[in-house]
Amino acid sequence: MVRYGSLIAILVVSQLVGSNYVTNLLNIIGLFALPALGLALLMGYAGQISLGHAGFYGMGAFGSALLAMHTGISPWITIPVVAMLVGIFAWGIGWLVFRLRGHHLAMATLAFGIIVHVCLVEFRSLTGGPNGLPGIPVLSFFGTDLYSDARIFPLIWIACILALVAAENLVRSPVGLFMRALGENERAAASLGIAPDSMKRSVMMLSGAFAGFAGGLYAHYIGYLSPGPFDVGMSIKLLVMVAIGGFTSIWGVLLGVAFVTLISEVLKPLGAYDILVFGAMLVFIIIYCPRGILHPIVNLVGHFGRKQPAQAEKPL
Amino acid sequence: MTAGQDPILEVDLVSVQFGGLRALSDVSFDVRHGEILALIGPNGAGKTTLLNVASGALPPTSGAIRMEGKTVSGLKADQVNRQGIVRTFQAAEIFGSLSLRQNVMVGGVAGSGVTFGDGLLGWGRASRVERQLHEKAEKYLALVGLLEAADRPAASLPAGQQRLLGIARALATDPKVMLLDEPGAGLNNTEKKHLVEVVRRLREDGKTIVLVEHDMQVIKQLADRIVVLEHGAVIGIGTPREIQRNEAVVNAYLGSAGTIERNPVKAGETSYGQLLNLSGISIHYNGVQAVNEVSLNVDKGEIVTIVGANGAGKSSLLKAIAGVVTPATGEIILDGKSLATKTADERVALGMSLTPEGRELFPSLSVHDNLILGRYARLKAHKGLWGMVHMGADEKAAMADRLQFCFDLFPILAERRNQLAATLSGGQAQMLAIARSLMNDPTLLMLDEPSLGLAPQINEVIFKTMRDLQSEGLTILLIEQNARAALQVANRGYVLVNGSVVASGNAADLLADDQIASSYLGFGDQQDPEDSLMVNVQ
Repeated sequence: MVRYGSLIAILVVSQLVGSNYVTNLLNIIGLFALPALGLALLMGYAGQISLGHAGFYGMGAFGSALLAMHTGISPWITIPVVAMLVGIFAWGIGWLVFRLRGHHLAMATLAFGIIVHVCLVEFRSLTGGPNGLPGIPVLSFFGTDLYSDARIFPLIWIACILALVAAENLVRSPVGLFMRALGENERAAASLGIAPDSMKRSVMMLSGAFAGFAGGLYAHYIGYLSPGPFDVGMSIKLLVMVAIGGFTSIWGVLLGVAFVTLISEVLKPLGAYDILVFGAMLVFIIIYCPRGILHPIVNLVGHFGRKQPAQAEKPL
Repeated sequence: MTAGQDPILEVDLVSVQFGGLRALSDVSFDVRHGEILALIGPNGAGKTTLLNVASGALPPTSGAIRMEGKTVSGLKADQVNRQGIVRTFQAAEIFGSLSLRQNVMVGGVAGSGVTFGDGLLGWGRASRVERQLHEKAEKYLALVGLLEAADRPAASLPAGQQRLLGIARALATDPKVMLLDEPGAGLNNTEKKHLVEVVRRLREDGKTIVLVEHDMQVIKQLADRIVVLEHGAVIGIGTPREIQRNEAVVNAYLGSAGTIERNPVKAGETSYGQLLNLSGISIHYNGVQAVNEVSLNVDKGEIVTIVGANGAGKSSLLKAIAGVVTPATGEIILDGKSLATKTADERVALGMSLTPEGRELFPSLSVHDNLILGRYARLKAHKGLWGMVHMGADEKAAMADRLQFCFDLFPILAERRNQLAATLSGGQAQMLAIARSLMNDPTLLMLDEPSLGLAPQINEVIFKTMRDLQSEGLTILLIEQNARAALQVANRGYVLVNGSVVASGNAADLLADDQIASSYLGFGDQQDPEDSLMVNVQ
């Protein structure tokens, strides 16, 4: 509760400050937080790797944009409907790839991400190819068009907070225990009556739907789509966010997303080469902070906060 | 006994074939309602395979296992569990990052009917089920005596208690039949007493129990009936008393010497001084004591064997000598020099070769290349890295010499020299593993269970080869489950039980001693286990 309170307080204060730049950054964080949360559930808790999550994000974005443009249906409907379709599609992908494990699973999901990206580039008649897709309808709320950063801001963050609540509920529930058990030891989990494949597919479906929903919001917020952002680089970026968060921490993911987004701002002069920095960061974190970059910081604070003579005697 | 006569679980002509290997052939027996049935057999007899078939990890090649008349073999592990069968694991396989309580709660989730959607909502059924599981976890943690530690992370438990947690977790699935995979392995006496008590409580709870176990003390106290497997077939079914008197069972455990002749050399006659000396070696894994204060010595030119049942600590001892595990206490001396600071590869360069259990060949390399690799540790130690890349003429000649020696010893390897190691039969692979160790020009050859899983004729060839190697001046330390063959081929022997040496001496004397055979088997009457393992049942 304290955490939700602080989050909402930060969000409200950011709006009172009224800086367009801050709002824009927070929007980007929110739009990355949704797929990153889904990926954390899949990787951190259910123990299944995915290097193709940008694919689900891209499908959500182009799916919702195209549906709204060609049928005239309101984005209020196309976003959730397409997110659900992406979820179902993710379930199907899960059915295909979860017969694989470890490196093979990583390769298969990587391939999936590449396939989606290639389709977005090559289906020129539908997606506009590298030229992109302009003229995507904006969301409108009782006659007010949500095209500015500040106007879409509440919608993005309401979606994020709902996703946070759902993810936390899931992790804490008996089903979440089941999921974590599966992530830790599939053989033992199966011996307790847990059907591993069906559980993995369910998590994959949820994860895909989160990514698809964020993609849809992104499309109608920006108003223009090109396949560029939905490449492997984005999947890696999501992975870095989850890794920084420590894989098995719902709130850690949110901080991981914020951290990576802010670093991205700093790295803007590097252009497309920023992926090099993210790659190096990922290697560093996996080796030196396997429980997330926050874990050692929290430990350190705890260490100085507690005044335990037994601990103080120990040399640091 | 309280057990009823009607079967709850029927094993009906189950066979399992792995490629050319028949792991189980036409195994049939019944498990009766409410009984404790022990499944025993020497290493490699097929116990684990049978357990895997019964728990859904492996479909049988033919035959079926039926639970209350319903076929469960061939189902997936989770489906088998929902039919009322649960298994535990030898390595416990608990969920280390969850608390003890959560570990047990996981066991109850599948039966609670809670769905993924319930989990997302968080309220309603999910929280109701959570409360129920919470209570269930308390009940079963109390039953195995771990309630006080309920909120500790499971990874912090010592290995013995992890197995008890595994039992509590299995109980939470509300099983009718529990398959316990070596719950007693590596436990100390106090822990074993507790385990026996827990398993008795399970029976009082109405559970039917199949116990795969090596520890005869535990089995004697618990089992109503015993099924003995050897080479994948049932060789005996009966009460502990009947099994104890069953000649075939005793032979299966002690092995058979076949046509191997007694080693004509008596202990001491070969002595050109001491080669290897162990004093007070203890080895712990994760708090579990595997080897306890073992001292032994091996003279130059001797064949010494360490015999003992599975889990006695034989392999751990060998690994300590080879430098693969570090002993907690004690000293190992080779040829007058302490090995304490030497790494495993340095020990190889000193002339100690280990042929590991399970052979550990490089399957994708040819026979020839596997052999060549056997000499590289020595080459590197003597000539450095460059010496390996750029071999001198003398080294090449020595290598060719040694290869020829191995091919003379095992002519079949010469025939197959260009074949991949993966394509060899079990016997040929064992020969290659031994030959690879010999490439190192060792002064001490250590063999870990060379007869494991091999046909008797092949074993005779291998045991006789040891005799040939001895006459060439090689010293051999042999670890064997097949005690009869090992003691026949050796000059001296040590008998290891539960990590301690219980007897040692001339191989011939040990072989003749009935007392030794029975203590080794654990069926001995010389000490009543009920005295040493007194148990209070509530």
